[in-house]
Amino acid sequence: MWGLRSSRTLAVTGALAAFTLLCVLPLAYMLAQAGTAAATHAVLLLDARQRTLLLNTAALGGGTALLATLIGAPLGFVLARVPLRFKPVWRVALAAPLLLPPYVIALAWVYLGGSAGLVAAATGRDLLSGWTYSLPGAVVVLSLVFYPLSMLTTEVALRRIEPRIEEAAFVVAPPGRVLRRITLPLAAPAVGAAALVIFVLAVSEFGVPGLLRVRVFTTEVFTAFAALYDFSRATILTLPLLGLSIVVAAVAALLVGERLLVTRRGATGARPVAFEGWTRRATGAAWCVLAVALVAPLAVLTREAMGVPSVTAIVKGSGEAIRSSLTLAAAGATVASGVAVWIGYARARARRRVGVCADVLLVVLFAVPSTVVGVGLIGVWNRAGVFGRVYGTDGMLLLAYLARFLPVAALALAAGMRYVPASHEEAAAVGGAGWWSTMIHVVLPQVKLALLAAWVVVFILAFGELGASILVAPPGESTLPIRIYTIIANAPAAEVAALALLQTAVVLAPLSLLALGIAIRRPE
Amino acid sequence: MTSAFLRVIDVTKRYGRHVAVEDVRLEVGHGESVVVVGPSGCGKTTLLRLIAGLERPEAGEIRFGDRVVARAGRTLVPPHERGLGFVFQDLALWPHLTVREHLDFVTRAAAMPTVERTERAREILALVRIDALAVRHPHELSGGEQQRLALARALVARPRLLLLDEPFSSLDRELRVALREEVARLQRALRLTSIYVTHDRDDAQVLGDRVVEMHQGRVIVDRRMAREDGRAPF
Repeated sequence: MWGLRSSRTLAVTGALAAFTLLCVLPLAYMLAQAGTAAATHAVLLLDARQRTLLLNTAALGGGTALLATLIGAPLGFVLARVPLRFKPVWRVALAAPLLLPPYVIALAWVYLGGSAGLVAAATGRDLLSGWTYSLPGAVVVLSLVFYPLSMLTTEVALRRIEPRIEEAAFVVAPPGRVLRRITLPLAAPAVGAAALVIFVLAVSEFGVPGLLRVRVFTTEVFTAFAALYDFSRATILTLPLLGLSIVVAAVAALLVGERLLVTRRGATGARPVAFEGWTRRATGAAWCVLAVALVAPLAVLTREAMGVPSVTAIVKGSGEAIRSSLTLAAAGATVASGVAVWIGYARARARRRVGVCADVLLVVLFAVPSTVVGVGLIGVWNRAGVFGRVYGTDGMLLLAYLARFLPVAALALAAGMRYVPASHEEAAAVGGAGWWSTMIHVVLPQVKLALLAAWVVVFILAFGELGASILVAPPGESTLPIRIYTIIANAPAAEVAALALLQTAVVLAPLSLLALGIAIRRPE
Repeated sequence: MTSAFLRVIDVTKRYGRHVAVEDVRLEVGHGESVVVVGPSGCGKTTLLRLIAGLERPEAGEIRFGDRVVARAGRTLVPPHERGLGFVFQDLALWPHLTVREHLDFVTRAAAMPTVERTERAREILALVRIDALAVRHPHELSGGEQQRLALARALVARPRLLLLDEPFSSLDRELRVALREEVARLQRALRLTSIYVTHDRDDAQVLGDRVVEMHQGRVIVDRRMAREDGRAPF
C-alpha cells in the first residue's frame, strides 16, 4: 500500500534510529563489555562476596515476586470478577503505589519501624528496626510497591477469558471449584509472566535496598562507581544483574506472547454473576491492602513532615531540584512519546514473528536495571567529540529517562495502535490520502488516549527515577529524587519527609483527579 | 398433560432500557421437549440464561417443580444446584482440558463416585461417538467433534433439564442435520426434558414436542407439534 519510498519509511526509520541510539546502544555497550570483562575478571565474578550478592539479589527478586503476586493476583481477580461499587476508583487507588517512587515508601517504613521511628517512640523499645533494615523488610516494601503490576495483569487476563467458558462451568460446579479448575489455570501464564517482570524490577531496584542497607548488585554498582570511583569494577558488577534481567524478561515476554499488547478491552458479553456473594470480603481485603500500601506510608510521612518549621523554606531550598525534575520529566515524556508513537506503529503493523521479537526486546530494555543503564550511558557518552559535549550536561538525565522509559511508551502505544485496523489506512489510501495525512487525520486521533497515557506514565516514572540519574547527573545538578536520597543521612527527618511528600503529591494529584473524574462518570 | 417440571411465571429481564424478556410465562412438563424459535434479539437466549440461573429476573418467578429457584432480583438456587446440562451457542469448551477431563470436571462436581465416574464417561463418550478422542484437547477436534463433546459434557451428570442454545448454528447444513438427528435420538433414548433455542424452524420439526415462538421479548405462540414420525408429543 505505502511504498518503500513513502514518508512512512522516513518516520519509522528515524524513530528506529533514535531508539537504537537512546536505548539499544547503552545495552550493547554493556554486552560488549561482558565479553572482555568476563574473561579478564572471572575471579572477581566468582568470589564469595559475589556469591552472597547473587544470593541476596535472587532472594530479593524471588521474595518480592512471590509476595507481590500473593497480594496482587487476588486483587486482580476481585477487580475482574467481583462486583464492587466505584470499581474504577478502586482500580486507580490500588494501582497508585506502583507510580510512587519505591524509596519514598521505604522512607515511610524507616520512619515507622526504624530505631528512632514511631513504633520505637511509642513503645519505648526498638522492636522493628532489625526487621526494617533487612532483606525481608526490603521484600515487603518492594512487594507493596509492585503488587499492582500483578493485579492489573491478572485483571486483564481474567477479562480476556470468554464469559461463556466460565458460565459453562458454573452450570455444573460451585464458584470456588470453577475458580480453581477453570479460571485460574487459564489466567496462570499471564500471572506467571507478571511475577517474572516483578522479579526483574525488584533486582533492578536501587533506592529501596540502598535505603534499607541491603547489599545487592545495584547498591554495589553504585558504591563501586560513586564511592570507589572504579568504573571497571562497576561495569563487571553489572554483568550478572544484566544477564539475570535479560533472561527473566525474555521468558516473561515469550510467556505472554501477543497478549502483551492488549488493553483491558477483553472478551465481549456480560460478566458471570457467580461471585456476587464475595463483595463484602473483597472490599475488606482491598481496604486492608490500600491501608498498608498507601494510606499508612503517606500518614507516616505526613506526621513526620509536620515537624518542619517552614514548608516555604523547604520548597525554596529545593526549588532548583524541583524545577529541574519537572522540566526534565516533561521533556523526557514528550520526546519518548514522540519517538514511541512510530515505534508502536511499526510494532503493531509488523508480522507476527517480528512483532514477538520486538516485544521481547522492548521488555528486556525496560528490565535493564537502572544502575546498569547509568553505567552504560556513561560508557557510551563519556568520550571526546559530539557525545562528549552532551556528557556533563542536563542532557544526560534526559538520556537516562529515555533509555529507561522509551520502551514502556512504545509498548503502550503499540497496544493502542493495534486497535486501529489496517483497513482504516487502506481506506484512506484508496481515497487518495498520503501517509502523513492518514496518520494525522485517521490513525493518531484514534490513539490519542494511548498517547496521553504513555506521556503520563513516562512523566511519572521519570519524575521518580533515581538509579540511573544518580550516576549520570553532572556535578552540581540535581533532581528531586537525587536531592531526597542524598540528604536522607544528614538533614532533619521532617525536611526529608516534606520533600518526599511533595514528590508524592506531584504524582498523586493528577491520579486523584482522574479517579474523581471516573467516579463521577462511572460509579459502577 | 404431564406435571410441570419447570414454570416460568411472568418473568421480565431488562438490560438498561432494553427489555430482553417481558412477562414471559412458560411451563415445561417432565420429559417434554420444547423448541423456542424467533428472530435474533427476541429474547430466546436470555430466557434460557434466566432458567439456568446465569441471569436474574427483575420480575416474576422461576420454579423447578415446587421449588422456587429465582424470583424478582434474587437467585435462590445457584446454577450448579439446578441439575442442568447446557450446550452453549459457541460451545464454551475449556481449552486447557482434554475431552475426558471435561467430563471428569462435571462428574466430580456432581460428587459421582470414582468407579461410576469412569464408567459414565465411557458410556457417554460412546453415546456421542467420540470415545476414541478422550485424550484430545478441544483445538484438536473437528467442528462436529467439538459439538459432540459439548453435548457429552451437558449429558454426563444425568441432568434433569437439558438447555441447548442454538448449538449447531455455526455448522454447515449437512453436519447440522446429522447432529440434530443425533440429539433427537438421545432425547428419545434418555427421555430428556429439554429446551432448545433456535431460529431454524426445521429444528422444531425434528426436536420439539412443542414450539414456543418469541417476538420482542414476549411469547406470541405456544403450540404442540404434529409429529411427522407419528410419535405422540408426550
